[in-house]
Amino acid sequence: MISSETVANGGRYSRSGLPVRFENVARNFKDVAALKSFNLSADAGELIVLLGPSGCGKTTALRVLAGLEMPDSGRVIIGDHDVTSLPSAKRNIGMVFQSYSLFPNMTAKENVEFGLRVRGQSPKDRSSRSGELLELVGLKSQSDRYPHQLSGGQQQRVALARALAVQPEVLVLDEPLSALDAKVRSSLRDEIRRIQLELGITTFFVTHDQEEALAIADRIAVMHQGQLEQLDTPLAVYTNPATEFVAEFVGTVNRLPGRIVDASQVEVENVGLVEYKSDSTFTAGSEVEVLVRPESIGIRGANDEGCRVLAKSFLGSTIKITLLDRADRLISVAIPTSDAGLVEGVEAVSLYSRGQALLVKGR
Amino acid sequence: MATIAPDLTPSTKTNGNNSSDVLKLGRPFRYIVLTLVGLFFIVPIVSSARFSFLGNHNSFTISAYTQLFGTAQFWSTLFLSVKVGVGTVFLTLALLIPTVVWVHVRLPKLRRVFEAISLLPLVVPSVVVTLGVITSFRGLPNIIYGTPVILSLEYVVLALPFSYRALDSSVQSIDLKTLVEAGQSLGAGWIKLLRFVLLPNIRGGIIGASILTFAFCLGEFAVASLLSFTTFPVFLVQVGQLAASQAVALSLIALLFTWIPLAVITLVFSQRRASRSTIVADE
Ligand SMILES: Nc1ncnc2c1ncn2[C@@H]1O[C@H](COP(=O)(O)OP(=O)(O)OP(=O)(O)O)[C@@H](O)[C@H]1O
Ligand SMILES: [Mg+2]
Repeated sequence: MISSETVANGGRYSRSGLPVRFENVARNFKDVAALKSFNLSADAGELIVLLGPSGCGKTTALRVLAGLEMPDSGRVIIGDHDVTSLPSAKRNIGMVFQSYSLFPNMTAKENVEFGLRVRGQSPKDRSSRSGELLELVGLKSQSDRYPHQLSGGQQQRVALARALAVQPEVLVLDEPLSALDAKVRSSLRDEIRRIQLELGITTFFVTHDQEEALAIADRIAVMHQGQLEQLDTPLAVYTNPATEFVAEFVGTVNRLPGRIVDASQVEVENVGLVEYKSDSTFTAGSEVEVLVRPESIGIRGANDEGCRVLAKSFLGSTIKITLLDRADRLISVAIPTSDAGLVEGVEAVSLYSRGQALLVKGR
Repeated sequence: MATIAPDLTPSTKTNGNNSSDVLKLGRPFRYIVLTLVGLFFIVPIVSSARFSFLGNHNSFTISAYTQLFGTAQFWSTLFLSVKVGVGTVFLTLALLIPTVVWVHVRLPKLRRVFEAISLLPLVVPSVVVTLGVITSFRGLPNIIYGTPVILSLEYVVLALPFSYRALDSSVQSIDLKTLVEAGQSLGAGWIKLLRFVLLPNIRGGIIGASILTFAFCLGEFAVASLLSFTTFPVFLVQVGQLAASQAVALSLIALLFTWIPLAVITLVFSQRRASRSTIVADE
């Protein structure tokens, strides 16, 4: 985890981040509960990615934090200040929006300086600060351009610099990259992470893109229907999902029928013995549903009695194989590319377990 | 009345289909339409101009103009109209800018309703509006009632269909809500937002609304006459009943008064745009 200590760059931009806490926040829009008893605590200097299906309340959570939306109940706490009733302009939160939000009448430099100008800083101080920040986002040479003369990626960089210029206590980014093409997206994503680490600023980042979430988050907050489902490191969310919803939403899972053998093993149809961990105790022999990741299933070799190979897709380092078992259930398997020979010219295969089950639930 | 004002509001809605259909009809068609429209506007102006310079026995004379400029009433009525026009423009902007902004940021669902309200003066006969305004302000002190201020109040309402649309469409063309929220999150209050973000970005709409409103005030006859104010158009009609060539000269002057500022503003604006976009080219 990232400490909130002052970090690199001679302490020029850096400052300690502050912890942020949502306490039982609720927000309703007419009959829609966008947030209901939403609880989340972020440590100082941490980058939290909010992940969840469309409409689960991610934007609403960020807007409540930024003061652009007032909660119906609950509290928002930054550091040790309850900011729930503070208007946005008094909160000192840097925000980058999904849509391009630069002021069209100002150059990149003027945009970055806006927050400082509003605070009454002298043109000289403003100028040196905006210079630093535009350099930080790699746009020093474009300072005098107007937003319409910048590409989408450049505009979002300027928006980031503008948000950072006022030395915000918290940085909030709502799908900042979703309007950009894949390549710009991944490079800008890495850059945002680099800058965030450099400044040690507590950051909330919303995305729809799982890969993006897994790549940059210190912790991922998976949301579902206005509530926090799980808050954990990317690895833990992926390998040890707290709920069925999280397992399904982050990554792909197979749902396979099985029968409990003992407290640590379950016999899964087509796959064989699979290890599991569970809070609930199942009696041996009970019928269950087992959630298994594609990469936790291996291919043993050709077997005419086994599962039929329906489709193969090459994903670079892995090959994704779609299989159909004899009861016409789809099974998704991912094997390392080095094992490609196992399925070459083969019509049906037998499987084995290469990892733990994610979850086991009663049927 | 000069209603041929250029559209100063930034046009964002490009109607791709329609324009390409028109383009398909080809150049000759375009030139024919352009020529016809041009003739329709230019012929009356040129012939009026010719008539206004016509003396006895078809000689050339500028006496219509010199006589007009020598009349005290010419200057006083013109001054009154300009005064009422400027007042109306200020009242309109003070009333409409906050309204339009508020509707866009806080009440987006009511946008259509406000638009419909703004069109009412086109539907309700202006005499009815006039009487309505007079009745509404009956209780007010004499500073308003019985002075040209009441005329400005009338014109604010009557010019609403033009002024509201100009402002509304320019606000519509920017993502006002996001810009306001971005500004707020950077620490700006409403006054600073208005000054640094809103006004500069809807400048086109403000200018458009001002010109349309001002032109309306400089051309309106019925209400002014009904309320017994001798404004410029009322003076024009009075003169017209006595001396035809002077009336024509007068209307040409009125035309110039609205057209010159229009042309200047349009030019200044298109140059500003051009100089901004050249920066792109030198990359
Ligand atoms: N201003 C509003 N008026 C009415 N309903 C709203 C408003 N804002 C959000 N909602 C509703 O609240 C719910 C949560 O919306 P929110 O925008 O927070 O979702 P989200 O997780 O950001 O979704 P997406 O991933 O699509 O951006 C949705 O059902 C949405 O329709
Ligand atoms: Mg959203």
